[in-house]
Amino acid sequence: MLKVRIIPILTFNGFALVKTKQFAQPRMVGNPVQAARVYNSRGVDELIFLDIFASKQNRKQNLNIVRDVIKECFMPVGIGGGIKTIEDIQALLKIGADKVVIKTQALTNPDFILEASNFFGAQCITISADIKKQEDRYMVHNELGIEISMEEFIVQMQKLGAGEIILNAVDYDGMMQGFNLDMINMASKLTQLPLVCVGGGGELSHYKELFENTPCEAVGSASIFHFTQYTPLDIKNTLKEIGKPVRI
Amino acid sequence: MSVAIVDYDMGNVSSVQKALQAIGVENVLSKDPEVIARSQYIILPGVGAFAQGMENIRNAGLERILTHEVMEKKKPFLAICIGLQLLASEGTEPVSTQGLGWIEGKVIKIEELDKRIPHLGCNELQAEKDGFFAEFDQKDFYFIHSYHFEVKDQTCIAARVHYGGDYVAAIQKDNIYATQFHPEKSQANGLRLIEKFIRENA
Repeated sequence: MLKVRIIPILTFNGFALVKTKQFAQPRMVGNPVQAARVYNSRGVDELIFLDIFASKQNRKQNLNIVRDVIKECFMPVGIGGGIKTIEDIQALLKIGADKVVIKTQALTNPDFILEASNFFGAQCITISADIKKQEDRYMVHNELGIEISMEEFIVQMQKLGAGEIILNAVDYDGMMQGFNLDMINMASKLTQLPLVCVGGGGELSHYKELFENTPCEAVGSASIFHFTQYTPLDIKNTLKEIGKPVRI
Repeated sequence: MSVAIVDYDMGNVSSVQKALQAIGVENVLSKDPEVIARSQYIILPGVGAFAQGMENIRNAGLERILTHEVMEKKKPFLAICIGLQLLASEGTEPVSTQGLGWIEGKVIKIEELDKRIPHLGCNELQAEKDGFFAEFDQKDFYFIHSYHFEVKDQTCIAARVHYGGDYVAAIQKDNIYATQFHPEKSQANGLRLIEKFIRENA
């Protein structure tokens, strides 16, 4: 049976790991290489590393740091931040990334996803979507002036050959009060692609709630690992109790 | 004892190199036919689309040398993920493409209506008894693929994986070992598998 995935997410500002709340107030939480080493030693299922300011600051990833992070990992790693070209993806795969995570370029130039998917295969192309409720609709949050609903975006990305979607609930980010179950249920119905549900995990009970009330098969988290004593293994043990297949 | 990891611009090659370093096996990343000919083992890794993979192999002039080393000289050979798929007679990602044709069969899309595609994450092997993969039966390995290899000769199939239906997870025939999953990304189980491939073919 396919095991559910518990994925630590490292968000990076170009120098250090940071953790935001509702995508604001980045707070420094440590060194990425050290964090990757700890997660590897704990045998986590996967790791996602995102340079969350690369696109906004119009710069590329620091490949030396990314290389050092990946070097620590004997599990799959997804890398995102500032990816605009086939060459950007090639450079990341060459140093050992398994997947690339694309957000801004998927919004500004959706056809790039088709090009990248045909070149590298769908399994390599993960899309990150930041979702925020506006009036009564879930919209893709961005600072580019692009208006697109969650539904439209997810359907479009699947059609263009994305292999996975990371779904960030913007208002739940860093709040540690539980996941946006409504959004996750809605998104799950829109696509056959694997979804990584992100935003709001702070207690073990939140994960139980997530997996009991949605078809979620993968969850991404940061705050709970930075700010509590809980490890990915604690979450897995919790999920095992409710009968979910986990890799321990 | 050296391993040539075929470098044909298809992704995660450095992960394979890292795995070999972790178990202390001398290796070289190369697309140079002479280096590949001199090596004791060949690993064909890779992630990506089938058509692109074959195009890269042909453009690098590697098809003939690989066929000679693996099929004629019978050099120990391990193919991973897209590497396994390229052994097929034909692929379909994204368009119909002729493969290396060392293992008869076709690579087609996974069709599972109530499953998420790609098949992504850790899943356990259903290994054949008594084969190379037997000791990895029920062990978790990391899979990430939307296409699967429909192998014609069932005796080549060394392990399957269950995801709605049963799919080929590993192939073993003479000197050819191939995994749909990524041993280099499967932590302890994966390192043990690569180490066994090296040791048993020493």
